[in-house]
Order: sequence, then C-alpha cells, then structure tokens
Amino acid sequence: MAVNPKKLRPYDQPRKVRQPIIPDGPDAAATLYLVAAAIWLTMATGIGLLWVAAQLFPTQLAFSLEVPMLSGTLHLALNPATVSSGFWNAIVYGWLGNAGLGAIFFITPRILGRRLVGEQTATASAALWNVGLLAGLATLYAPQLAVSGFLAEFPLPVDAVLLLALVVANDAFWRTLLSARDSAPYVSVWYFGVALAAFAGLYALATIAPILSLPAAGAALANAFYVRAIDMLWVTGVALGTLYYLVPRATGNPLASTGLATFGWIAWVALGTLSTLGALVDTSIPFAVTQLGNAATLMLVVPAFLAVANLVLTVRGRWTMLLSSGTVPLAVLGLTFLTATAMLESIGGLRSVRSLVDGTEWVVGVRLLLYFGVATFAFLALADHAFPRLLRRDWGATVLGDVTLWAVFAGAALSGLALIGGGIAHGSMLADAASADAVSGTLIWFWGAAGAGIGLVALGGLASLVNVFLMYTSGPLAEYVVPPAPAASPSDAAPAAVAG
Amino acid sequence: MSIHTPVASGGRGIPRWALGLTVAMLLAGSGYFATNLEGANPPILATPAPSGPPSAQAIIARAGCQACHGSDLAGLAIFPSLHGVKNGPVSANLAQLATDHPDDWANIWIAGTDPSASDPAMRSGMPAFGGEPYKLSAEEIATVVAYLKTLP
Repeated sequence: MAVNPKKLRPYDQPRKVRQPIIPDGPDAAATLYLVAAAIWLTMATGIGLLWVAAQLFPTQLAFSLEVPMLSGTLHLALNPATVSSGFWNAIVYGWLGNAGLGAIFFITPRILGRRLVGEQTATASAALWNVGLLAGLATLYAPQLAVSGFLAEFPLPVDAVLLLALVVANDAFWRTLLSARDSAPYVSVWYFGVALAAFAGLYALATIAPILSLPAAGAALANAFYVRAIDMLWVTGVALGTLYYLVPRATGNPLASTGLATFGWIAWVALGTLSTLGALVDTSIPFAVTQLGNAATLMLVVPAFLAVANLVLTVRGRWTMLLSSGTVPLAVLGLTFLTATAMLESIGGLRSVRSLVDGTEWVVGVRLLLYFGVATFAFLALADHAFPRLLRRDWGATVLGDVTLWAVFAGAALSGLALIGGGIAHGSMLADAASADAVSGTLIWFWGAAGAGIGLVALGGLASLVNVFLMYTSGPLAEYVVPPAPAASPSDAAPAAVAG
Repeated sequence: MSIHTPVASGGRGIPRWALGLTVAMLLAGSGYFATNLEGANPPILATPAPSGPPSAQAIIARAGCQACHGSDLAGLAIFPSLHGVKNGPVSANLAQLATDHPDDWANIWIAGTDPSASDPAMRSGMPAFGGEPYKLSAEEIATVVAYLKTLP
C-alpha cells in the first residue's frame, strides 16, 4: 500500500537515527588516536625546534608573563627548563602515546577477530587523553603549577585525567582479549598487553610519588626508574608489537618463526624489566643492584636481534618491496634503528662507557634514536597501512610519502647521532678538565646539528599530516573488503581494494 | 562485518643460531656482572645543605636550577657545572665580574646584572631567571651560593 508521506503523523515518522556524541563504530578509537598522533608529531617536533633553540640561545629566548587571576598572579615562563619539559612530554605522551594506543586499538581486534569491547569508552579515553595532555602541557609553562621531574611534571588533577584514560584503555584491551578466548594469540598482542599494563602502572607510580612526599633523592630515583621503564616497556614494547603485525601483513609472507617470536618476547620482558634497575644510581641503592640492571641492558641486544632477524627473514622473497614506498620500507627502517639503538644501549650500559658519558648528551641522543627512529618508523608504517582502512580512501600523493620517509630518516639519524657524538665529546672534555667555555663552544655545533635533525623530522611529520588530510579530502575511494579465509595468505586483496 | 585479519606464522622451533646468540650474551652479561661488583654509586643529587631553613636544596628545586645545570648540578648540555663555584667563575664571561666583586660575584650573577653595564656579557645571563616565579631574595641567593661553595 502506497503511503503519502505528507499525511504521516509525527508518531508515524520513521525513527531518526541519532549519532552518539562519542562515536562507537568499528575502529572509532583507533581513528581518533591515530589522527591525534599525526597532529602531535608535527606539534611536538615544532616544540623540539624551540627546545634546541633554547639550549643554544638560553637568554634570548627567555620570556615571562604575569597573568592576573582572582586568587593572585599566574606567572608564565618560557625558558630552557619549561620548553624542555614541553618537548619531551609532547613527544612521549602526545606523539608516541597516541600512536601506540592507536596501534593497539587498530591491531588487536584484527588479530583476535572481534570488535573492540567498549569501543565507545575507548574512544572517550582518546578524548580524555588528548584534552588532559593539552591542559598538562599548558601548565608546564606555569612553574607554580608544575612539579619538577622529567616526564612527571603535570599537576595532580591532570595526572588523574590521564591515568583515567589509561585505565579505560586497559579495560577495553583486556576485555577484548579475554572475550576472544584465544589461548595463544599472535605475539603482537603479548607485546601490547605488557606495554599497556606497564604504561598504566608506571603512570600511577609517577602520579602517586609526589603525594608520598618522598625525600628529594627518593623522588629523583622514582623519576629515573619511571623514565627508563617507559622507554623499555612502553615505547619499545608497543613498537615491537606493531612491527610484528605489519611486516607479515604487508609482505604477505607468514612470520618466519613463532618459536623465535615467543622466545624474543620472553627475553624482552625479562631483560627490559631488569634493565630498569640500571637507572637506580644513588648511594642508597646497593651497587650490585645497579650493576644487575647494567648487565641486563648489555644483554638487551638479544630480544632486539631476535625480533629483527625474525622479521627480516619474514621479508625474504619480497625484497623488491624495500625499493617501493609504503609500509615495508618504513618498517624495515624501524628495524634498522632498533638494531642500532640496542647496540648503543648495550655499549652505554658498560661501566667504563657510563663513567665517560653519564649525564651528557649521549643519553639524550640514544633516546632520540629510540623515539624518532624505532618508534616513529614503526608508527609511520602503521599509519601507511591503517589510514586507508580507517578512512576508506587510498593514499594520493606518493611524493609526500617519500618526503616523510626520507626527512624522518635523515632527521632521526642526524639528531640522534649528533647528540651521541656531543655526549662523547662532552665526556672527554670533562675528563680532560676542559673549561666550561671550551665545552660550550664545542657542544654548540653538536646541538646545532641536532636542531637540524629535529627540523627534518618536523618536516616529515608535517608532510605526513598533509598527506592524511589530502587523503581524507580528495583521496580515491577504496572499497573495504573482507579478507580471505584466515588460513590463506594474508596478502592484501585487489590493488584498488583495501583489506581490513 | 568481519575484521579478522590474522597473521600466518611459521614454525614453533627456535633456531640454533638464536639459542647460540642468547647463550653467548648471557655469558657475557654474567661475566660483566661478576667482574663489576666492586664499587659504589654516586649520589643522584648533590649533597644536601648541612642545615639552616630554608634549605638550599628546596630553593634550588623551586628555582629550577637543575633543569639546565643537571640533577647533580654538574652541568648539562651547554650549561656549566656549578661544582667549581668555590674556585671562582667557571666561564670566561664572568672573569671581570669576579675581579670587581671577588666575594659576591656569584650572588650578583644570580640576582641579575646591571642592564646599563658597559660589558654586554654583564647585561644578561642568569637574569633570565630574575623574574617571578624564579626570583630569589638576597637571603635565598646567599643560601644557594653558600651551598654551592660546599660542593666538591
């Protein structure tokens, strides 16, 4: 029977489908985290340029501002100390935090074959994380509000919001894993589980530590342990989990060895955890405990080499993919940086080397290689793989992809190696009792080179962000197809189509 | 809609070369640990001030000195070590100031120098921290300088 729509009463109207304020569609959380990550990479590296400039011109780039408030005056300060805090927090929590959580929420449902349990709350966690982080970064420039300590400077209310976001993210991940009832999920999920639990646990520790009113040395030790553990367990763990997923998926080859992957994961958990003891350097800590951490750091090359070897063997037969642009070359660059970083970490754990470079730029350089080399390439590879599947569009301008790859590669290598070289020079000059002026005069060149490197990474990040924007606005539509049966080769479907 | 995209995996065995590498590194790590047990860790922070409120440590923490000069005040990046303050200026640009004010050159430098001074190097420097919230009183500066002079 034909119905005249003009004669329909309001109660006869079909129900309107309301869009929820917080999206709950498939991949909503992963999309929000990854888009935020792309923005944070550009922002954080921009702050990084300011950070290097503040090291080179500390007095010229120092400003302070007084803002009248109802309860007094708020002092805002831009100086080497506040800019340094802003850079490290933006990189670790903004770029690597968002990208890591996005990777976990993109990959885990695909491995387990289930939608994320609590997609809406996971999406809310992305909003909480980013709003909290923006507020936290703003407080860093108001020294009255911030607490001193590397990566643990946010005021308590901000820390509480960020911790809540991490708890919610953990809840979504673990409920999805438990509901899948998969007794032996793929190795990426194991890495994600440890990394995510460690991130929330460590962040809780960093939030609680100032409340406990620890003595100054105790607080400094807790802070040193936190920073080391974040690098070893969160950043490295989530990057390895991502690479373990991407290399077999992008090459279409099965992972070379499951046994090797399992063995490598066990070695990483054991040695990565033990190596955090190496950060506990104080008279109150038995020397043997610190040395145990250093010995574990020396052995960290084992899990790194096992992962690199396993994934390089996975690429065999598809070497030509390295010459193209896309996921595989980005992932292989991440593995190359992983090899270099693991070796430098091991060398830096040796007592003789520590005595030379401790407290110098060496530590900062190795950290930049981990952040901009290993983790950034793992997440850029993920972005290359994931965005077409999330936005249902294909990459448009390949030149922007090439700019991203080469600029980030050159920038990560230059900034990391310049500061490592600066650390060796600094340590040597201190050992020779060189004057402070001589040290400053030498180091300024290394810092200048590091600044150029961070500028290149910023350029690559900007190219990546523009590429994502162009893809979303004008990229060719790509059909989202269900991949073939699980037992079949995981290679992607037809060129124009995008498999999940 | 299915989003199950599992990753195919190879054998469950562990290659011999991987076991060999692990054993070799385990031996190297154990050997390193066994031969490096003698020694003592340095303090994570510089030795606290002997006494007297407000403590120099608290003032230093509030003023953010360690952000540039390192957690142990032994210098970081291009920012010099403060451990040699008892021996005089550690940077050449402070030499003239120390000649003119041998007893309180460090106090003057931290408090902020005279913007009308003829030597350009004396017009800026630590004065970047002369404003709020880093601004220290003369007494606080004296406490910090007295403490710095106790550092080895």
